[in-house]
This record gives sequence, structure tokens and C-alpha cells, in this order.
Amino acid sequence: MTREEIFSGLNQVFQDVFDDEEIQVTEDTTAEDIEDWDSLEHINLIVAVERHFGMKFTMGEVTGMKNVGAMADIIGERV
Amino acid sequence: MALTSFSFLCFFLFTAMVYYILPQRFQWMILLTASLTFYYISGGWAVLPFLLYGIFISYLGGLLLERTKEGSRKKTLFTWMFVVLTLLPLFLLKYVRFFGFPAPFGPLAPLGISFYTMSILGYVIDVSWGILPAQKNIFRHALFTSYFPQMISGPITRYSQMAEQLFSPHAFSYQQVTFGAQRILWGFFKKLVISERLALAVNLVYDQYPVYQGWYLVVATICFAFQLYTDFSGCMDIVLGVSQVFGISLPENFACPYFSRSISEYWRRWHITLGIWFKEYLFYPLQKSPLWIAFLDWSKKRLGKKRGKKLPLYTGMLVLWFSVGMWHGGSWNFIVGSGLLHWFYIVAGELLTPLWKRLTALFQVRTQVFSWHFFQGLRTFLLVNIGFVFFRAPSLKVALSMLFSMGRVQNPQILFDRSLFQLMTPQDWMIALASLLLLLFVSSLQQKIRIRETLAAQNLVFRWSLYLLLFVAVLIFGCYGGDYDAAAFIYQRF
Repeated sequence: MTREEIFSGLNQVFQDVFDDEEIQVTEDTTAEDIEDWDSLEHINLIVAVERHFGMKFTMGEVTGMKNVGAMADIIGERV
Repeated sequence: MALTSFSFLCFFLFTAMVYYILPQRFQWMILLTASLTFYYISGGWAVLPFLLYGIFISYLGGLLLERTKEGSRKKTLFTWMFVVLTLLPLFLLKYVRFFGFPAPFGPLAPLGISFYTMSILGYVIDVSWGILPAQKNIFRHALFTSYFPQMISGPITRYSQMAEQLFSPHAFSYQQVTFGAQRILWGFFKKLVISERLALAVNLVYDQYPVYQGWYLVVATICFAFQLYTDFSGCMDIVLGVSQVFGISLPENFACPYFSRSISEYWRRWHITLGIWFKEYLFYPLQKSPLWIAFLDWSKKRLGKKRGKKLPLYTGMLVLWFSVGMWHGGSWNFIVGSGLLHWFYIVAGELLTPLWKRLTALFQVRTQVFSWHFFQGLRTFLLVNIGFVFFRAPSLKVALSMLFSMGRVQNPQILFDRSLFQLMTPQDWMIALASLLLLLFVSSLQQKIRIRETLAAQNLVFRWSLYLLLFVAVLIFGCYGGDYDAAAFIYQRF
């Protein structure tokens, strides 16, 4: 899967989870940049990403990812 | 050995001297020796077996979990086994009576067991998740578990943020040592001048209930809010300051929590390391478990996509807040006051947000101005104070009775007719209020600048005059109990 395809998939998931079609994520996007992305929504997002790409994050990765770029790196390794 | 005692200061100074005089490769061993000595002096022989058990079990757990194949059933089994074994002493000492069993060790509760158990449990889980390599040296692992500045009252640390600092050499740094000493002094001021003074009024009203009713309870509860904050955050100032003298930086536990404008924000500013611990080691794994994901799917099917995801979320938060309350103590006043009540606040806040937005729009309330932010801050502070009634009262029943008394007994005249001087002398009220104003001023400054760095840039005479003034203020205005020892820190009993 190419980086562009991963980000295209991530955009779909983010737009769906946060109910906002305007969201466009980049390598540097963090929870600070998306209003509703807080600790309460974090796992909902993670589960939605896992389902979309058919992969699993480890618990260490769930708490350790610094930005969307790091998330895309892990997805790239697994699919 | 209380952190504010003269004996602790001597112990700390001696340790710091040896730490910097001996070759740097011995530094971590000095800290380990000092830590075990400190623990023995503080708790006696009876508490050491619990600490040694914690060190050994988590050390063994780390080694075994590292060698077990990722994703295997054996790993899941081992992880659960070591989680249970690590928690076992805490359960037997603090919670066994809550579940109706006789306490096997009587009233004994080793100092800091709730804090260091969280740290070593985090270590075991981190190794299981593959975030950390296991520590092969049991003595180094023992230092992580028992590092004396933090082991009794936190902050709850993660192995990943401590290991390198604890085991690498530290050259003497004048700045680190002076910054550390300044922070210790500020901690002494908070504890001895403010917290111990406010305790006079709080203890009188709470211990003699129902002698004092109505507005006496309101005043005492607000005093308790500041007593608890200055006690716990003062303790953290001393802990972080002591650690800074050794060149080891510990995570912050407070960020001016009473400036929070919502309960969620309050918990990001109050006892920060506890909140992070429960979020990362309980709330996230619970939400990501297959059972919870099945619950989410079931809920979405029945309630729709948007509402459906809220039910598992709020249920997960209920488990989280129940656990936070339980951590504070195995009794319902802690479970309600430090747990379930805050769950209710946060969920109610979430559910009422749309209505609140409509109301502010309808009445054209400006929400980006100081007055609105002040209202939000005051509202949050008052809600938190209701929780403190449960926290401070001896039982759930008494707490509820006190809250009813606050609503029922109308005696606001006591605020103006000198009645409050029964609780503390006018002089004590003056010192408490002046100190709280200073605290407010310093906290406001902390939002904008780094105070110690700014002070360090000032002229020598000015900054040393300030340090000396604070030192003299602690000496003159500090409240000292019998034998010149202040009362123990409130959070040490957890």
C-alpha cells in the first residue's frame, strides 16, 4: 500500500469518526489539531483505523504514537 | 521520617554530599542504599517485606514476559498472573476489608504502597506490551521501585522516563542544586505556612461535626480544598526539588488545578500522573478489549452511530472512575468523592453541552471573555469542593449529612460577626489569606513565565533577599506540631 493510499484511507476514517468531512490529516497532524480528538475518542479512532486497514495496533503503539505520520508508518509495516 | 522534618533534611543533605563526592559510577548505588534506609527509618522492619516482594515479583515478571512469545496465550496468562501478583499486597492491605474479609495484616499499610505498586505494575505491563526491555539487574530495578524522594507520595513514574536518569552519572550542577533547593523551600512554605494553618480550622469543624453546621462547613470545606492542594502540591515541590538536586527530573503532578474551567481539565491538572496511569493502563486497554469492541458494535446497532458509541464510552469511564476512587481508599466516601461523583460531572457535562451551547446563544452570553471564564472556573471549583466533603468526612453517611446541613442551615452571618475566629485566631486568618494571595500570584505568574529562570536572571541582592524572606516566613509563620514536626502529608496514607 502506498503512502498516498494510507493517507486517503486515514482521511476517510478521521472524517467518519469525528463527523467532519473537512478533516484532512497530514504527517504532522496530532490530537491538538483536531478539536474532538481527546482521550475519550482516541480508542474509537484506533479501532476504526484497525478495521479500515485490517490490522492491529499493539497497546504500546496506541499510547506511543506521536502523530498521524507515526500511525501511517505502523500501518505501512502491517498491510 | 516526614519530608518536612529536620531529620529528613539532614538525611537528604548527607545523601547529596556522598552522591556528589564519590565517583559518579556509584551514584545509583548510593541512591538505592539511601532509599532502602529511608524506607526502613520511615516504616520499620515490618514494611520492608512488602517492598522487597514488589521488587522481586515485578523483576521476575519483566524477565519472564520478555521471553514469552508475542501474542501467545502463555503471554496473556503470564501478564494477568503478574498483574494479580503485583497487586496482591495492595489488595490484602487496603481492600480486603472493603470486600468483607478480615485483614490478614491488621491495620498495617506500608508507606507509599499505592504509589510504588502503580509504578511497578506499569513496568510489568510495559514489558508485556513490548515497549520496554526487561531490567536484568535486580538492584537497578530495586532503585526504580524505591527511589526515596518519590516512593511515598509519588509522582507515579514510568520506567521509560526514569531508567536513563536513575542509572546514568550526574555531574554537580549549581543551577540544578539551587533550583532544587528553591523548590523545596516553596514546598515548605505551602505545607507549613498554608496547609498546616488551614488544617486548624478544617479539623475543628470536621472532627466536631455536628457542632458546626451550615456555613461553617462551607468555609471549612473551601479551607480544606486549599489545605489539600497546598499539602499535596507542597509535598510534590519538596519531592521534585530533592530529586532535582540529584539531577533527576520527575514528572509534574500539578498544573494550577483550581484554574480549571471544567472537570475534565481539572483532572488534567490535578494528580496528573495518576490520571495518566489509569488512562493508559486501564481505560485504553479496556476500551480496546474484544469484549468492549463487541459492546460498541452492539450499542451502535441499537442506538445509532453517534449515540451508540457513547454508551460503551460512559460505561468504560464508570469503571475508570470507580477505580480512581478505589485507589484513594477502600471505602465508599473515597469511591464517591474522588471517583463516581467526578464521573457523573464529566458525563453530565458531555450530555448537557448542546443544551448549554443553545442557552448561551439564546441569551447572547459572551463566552470568550474573562467574566465567563471566571464563572466556569468558580463552577468547577465548587463542584470539586463537593467531592472534597466526601474525601474529608469520616464516612459516606456523615458526608451526605454535612452536605444537607450546608443547604439546610442558613447562618451566613457567621462570615461577618467574628464567629469564624472560633476556628482560627484573627492572626492565623490573616496569615492564611495573605499566603493564599501570594500563592495565587505565583500560580498566575507560572501560567506565563518560568519563575525560577526569571529569578535567576535578576541581580544577586534582589533574588537572595527574596529567598531569605521566604525562608524567614517559613520559620516565623510555619505551623509546627509537637517536637517541631508537621503532621504527615495527607497523601502519604494512600
